[in-house]
Amino acid sequence: MNKHTYTLGTRRGGSNSTSPFFVAYPRLGSFISKWVFAFPVIFMGLFFALPLALTFVWSVFERTMFWMKPAFTLFAYENFFTSARVDNFLASMGHSSISVLIAFIIGFPIAVFVRRRVPQVAQHRVILLFILPFAVSEIIRIFALRPFLQRNGLVNDVLLKIGVINEPITAILFTPTGVIIGEVMSFLPFIVFSGFLAMEAVPKYVFEICEDLGAGPIHVFIDVIMPLAAPGIFAGSLFIFVNGLGVALLPNILGGPGAVNAGLIATQAISALDFPLAMAVSAIMMATLLGLLYIGHRLFNLTRILTPLS
Amino acid sequence: MNDDYSSKWGYRLKWLYTLLVVTTLMLPVFFVMYISFNENGFGARDYDFTFEWYGLIFSDLLMMEAITSTLNLSAITVIFVVPMGLITAKLYKITQYPLAVISLMLSPLFVPSDILGAALLVFFKNLNGAFTLFGEWVGVSWFDTWFDLGYFSAIVGLIIYTLPYVFVVILITMGRYRKEQTEAARSCGATAWQAFWHVEFPQIKTGVFSSCAFTLILCFNEYTRTSLLKGGFDTFTTVLVSQMLNEGMSEQSYAMSSLVSYIAIAIIGSVIIFTLVRSERLERIARAKAEPLMAS
Repeated sequence: MNKHTYTLGTRRGGSNSTSPFFVAYPRLGSFISKWVFAFPVIFMGLFFALPLALTFVWSVFERTMFWMKPAFTLFAYENFFTSARVDNFLASMGHSSISVLIAFIIGFPIAVFVRRRVPQVAQHRVILLFILPFAVSEIIRIFALRPFLQRNGLVNDVLLKIGVINEPITAILFTPTGVIIGEVMSFLPFIVFSGFLAMEAVPKYVFEICEDLGAGPIHVFIDVIMPLAAPGIFAGSLFIFVNGLGVALLPNILGGPGAVNAGLIATQAISALDFPLAMAVSAIMMATLLGLLYIGHRLFNLTRILTPLS
Repeated sequence: MNDDYSSKWGYRLKWLYTLLVVTTLMLPVFFVMYISFNENGFGARDYDFTFEWYGLIFSDLLMMEAITSTLNLSAITVIFVVPMGLITAKLYKITQYPLAVISLMLSPLFVPSDILGAALLVFFKNLNGAFTLFGEWVGVSWFDTWFDLGYFSAIVGLIIYTLPYVFVVILITMGRYRKEQTEAARSCGATAWQAFWHVEFPQIKTGVFSSCAFTLILCFNEYTRTSLLKGGFDTFTTVLVSQMLNEGMSEQSYAMSSLVSYIAIAIIGSVIIFTLVRSERLERIARAKAEPLMAS
């Protein structure tokens, strides 16, 4: 449609018309514009919410040779809770929590620094730097950590050369430590992003007031930043925690025999064609996620995160 | 803008720290680049600089085929996901239930790839079974392959993966847009589409284009969802994994990964520079407009 053909006449299609084409078919226009807006929501409902909700149903199905059949059995859950899987799952929760803590300690000060000291116009660009690592596939990034961490790898080489250690450390690859390092390396940017969004809730003048009143940095952090930015910090931490539990690549490439998380249990169950078990693991993950979201919402009112977006 | 009383050195130190963290996160990437120039490949004792592997990339037919199919997959995803993100962002602005919309759109961020992949895999297998049964019942074989694992299911997985990012990026750029502008356009006689295309879109196109670039990169590099929902070893990442599992990544693969990262870094870098130039230009215009006021 040419720019110069705006006329009052083109409004005949009613307020919902989406294009001059629909002027002739006003009903069709409003019908389409209604469904166009609904489409992404329907799509997500059908292909995201529904499959995840159905994991609870499929998890009680009965396993057959290559597939599963409708039934009600808690065999998959029994299989999960009475084997080493549950120990692995709980252990990976522990590792994931450590990763969250490390990522927070390293990453969150950056978000505070950028919000507080970097000029407003440059803030987004500094944050954008943290998406650079995503330029390279996660598998390559994780795989490339191996030569860094292995026995004769770069980290050991450097530590040996500067004399910090006398013999190479073998405990950093194919152990939970390796997985934690991988998690921090992969997910750290997300604490920077969410921290950056969270710091929107802390106006700059708050820092000035704190400084004028003579509050020390730790005091400011615990009593001022934390309560204000809590919802954003929680969202970022939850993201790292859940992904630490659910991304199978990390323990697969960096972890040793003991490092197995929920994602790995699920993918291994699928390779073994034990679909009910895979679904049970997914359902347990979903329940964990929903439980944590509920707790977080009760504690911090997560809707506060959305304030800068609306 | 540095209006506090802190020392210049503290400020520099914090910058240094930020850049140090970015560099640390990039170390594996730089390492892959370093290996890609080594004549002797990965893990060799000697390091001889060479461009040889880059020359050989295009002779690796398996890899080239995989890259073509991955690019197709990513391009199709972009074509679907960016308009969807845009529509959802607009929906978020007008709906009565913004909380429901945003929760549904952002929750995929919190579902790990393997869990979502597994759930979708079983979902598609079930759907396929149901449709095949239905086809048998009505006596046609037309429905049999609708929901087979393949391009369709992989694209669905990738759309769910990337939609939250597209949605957030576009929503943030839309933050500056005021709906009075649309109202003004509408009362001047523009249709809803004209008001969108000529008034709103030019103001949010940075967000739209950067989300296109970001989606392309994410899809190209995605492994878990693609491998679970498509199967086979014929995309960039699945070929890499099969190489890792078998004889170790070939030297060409390192070169290829580096090439991809150069391209991706160039794309992200140019987005950064573009927004930098643009915001500076806008600032200059704003300053020029404000100056007469200041003078008076």
